[in-house]
Amino acid sequence: MIDQPLFISLLALPFLAAPLIYLFGRLSVRKGKLLGMKVAKTLTLAVLLAEIVLLVLTVKAAMGGSSVQQLIGLELMRFDGIGLILSAIVLVLGVCVTIFSFPYMNNEKGEEKFYALLMMTIGSIIGLGFSYDLFNLWIWFEAMAISTYFLVAFYNEQSASLEAGLKYLVQSAVGSALVLFGIAAIFAAMGSTSLEDIWQYGAQLGTLGVLGLVLMIVGFGVKAALVPMHTWLPDAHSQAPSGISAMLSGVVIEAGLVAMLRVISMTGKLGGNWGYILIIFACLNILVGNLMALRQTEIKRLLAYSSLAHVGYMLFGFGIGFAFGSGAGTEGGFFHMLTHGLMKGLAFLSVGALLYALKLVKGDHSALTLEDLNGASRKYPLIAVCLSVAVLALGGLPPFAGFMSKWMILVAGVQTKNTWMLIAVIFVGLNSVLSLGYYAPIVNRLFKREMSEVVTAGKRVPWTMSLPIVFLTLAVILIGVWPMLTDFLLYNGQYFLLGYFFN
Amino acid sequence: MNLPIPFIVLLAVISLAGTGFYCLLFTRNLIKVVVALQLIVKGVVLAFVLAGHLQQNESLAQTMAITVIVADTIVAVIGLSLAVQIRQHTGSLDLKALSKLKR
Repeated sequence: MIDQPLFISLLALPFLAAPLIYLFGRLSVRKGKLLGMKVAKTLTLAVLLAEIVLLVLTVKAAMGGSSVQQLIGLELMRFDGIGLILSAIVLVLGVCVTIFSFPYMNNEKGEEKFYALLMMTIGSIIGLGFSYDLFNLWIWFEAMAISTYFLVAFYNEQSASLEAGLKYLVQSAVGSALVLFGIAAIFAAMGSTSLEDIWQYGAQLGTLGVLGLVLMIVGFGVKAALVPMHTWLPDAHSQAPSGISAMLSGVVIEAGLVAMLRVISMTGKLGGNWGYILIIFACLNILVGNLMALRQTEIKRLLAYSSLAHVGYMLFGFGIGFAFGSGAGTEGGFFHMLTHGLMKGLAFLSVGALLYALKLVKGDHSALTLEDLNGASRKYPLIAVCLSVAVLALGGLPPFAGFMSKWMILVAGVQTKNTWMLIAVIFVGLNSVLSLGYYAPIVNRLFKREMSEVVTAGKRVPWTMSLPIVFLTLAVILIGVWPMLTDFLLYNGQYFLLGYFFN
Repeated sequence: MNLPIPFIVLLAVISLAGTGFYCLLFTRNLIKVVVALQLIVKGVVLAFVLAGHLQQNESLAQTMAITVIVADTIVAVIGLSLAVQIRQHTGSLDLKALSKLKR
């Protein structure tokens, strides 16, 4: 049995590496030397690449037939399709963000903490995906939240960052308290927090179970930025270092969503139309996200608000899946989760590269406005093309990945042959067109306008920054023209999510 | 009056969480915000103890309660450290002084 140690090392490696990374960096920073920091950076990258290898090997072992699982005390961890998608996104994006941050965070105060915390965030997201126990799910969730609190408030000499960090902390802590109340309610009804037990005896949960589930949807909804609970998101995403914005937007909100979906899928026997609730939240998210993004003047804030809309598209797909048992809808939801990770990661990294070259290099921590982007293509042609690909893909234009995933979700909506769903699909489709109203002007600014003063005075973008950006651009185009690449991931995710919900 | 003990504990849970949420909505002081979060989580801990008692599974409830306390302490420490830094930057602990990002 080789699969067991593989799975354990997949879960444990980031947490073993994080303190080492911090120690190497800290010792060398204290002595004013550079070597230790280099070791820390290399170690971060090496561990992430090793994690990718481990993930592939574990998938191979799990394909052998037997389910790969591990008991930690009484808490079950099991390797399955939902966790596989989440860890695939987080590892790919994690590698890109790490390489991007080498120049971006260079000589920043507290650089050594950055990589250790990033590693902890990645590790806890991987664990969260594979957890089969409610309380264990919460522990991973809280570990993820705690490591991102520091990262959001990373520039602790900027009072705006501190404010964003505090808002994020307060809202997130309330959300996690609500999740805990939900877990306590289900524990009081069942006497167990194992999702397997809850799935099996879900019918006897009763009113207390429904109350618990509602509390958990609201609680995880804070992290997934469902609309009335979204106010932390634009501040946190725009104030964090750009690499972290990419992580927050690309995987952290999706991790909240996955936790919520896991809980909903395991309580299928409880009955209730949870799918419709998700669809209502989806429409709200899409509308509010788009309308708020339209009136933003800072590019990172604009992208942050557009994340709200994109969480809406995902929820729409999953809602169709739960409400109508549509496999295509669920696959579309997972597909959008994957493509959104790549697209939004790409958008935030390209904007980060421009922010670095135009402002951060000179020690200016002010935000990059849309005006500052004017004419950037003359000086930074590569980054401008990549940023354009990112925003056009986010807007859902055909040859790119964003189109394929939105298309899949909308087609699944039409296939339900339900009048209300048809209206909702038209609403979502029109909103996707509306979103071009703020994406397209960015491209216009980049290519058509005269160079702004900031761009004229801008510095060079280092090649280590361009490397992950080009890689993500190629991925967005490749998945756009060849979406079958992701079929394996999507099918398995769908199989586990709906398989538990409907049986 | 002869109330059963679980009922009294339930009342305590509700009043702790209610007080916490009330404080969170109406206080302007950063330290008090952290205190309000603590109050809510203390309600959670009590809720776990109650749930364990109802299900005759006190040992599992205790381990959960202890884990919650640990995680919650970390959150409180981070919250307070942010409050300290905000005080150093703006010279006040008032939430109103912090509205640069509101738009």
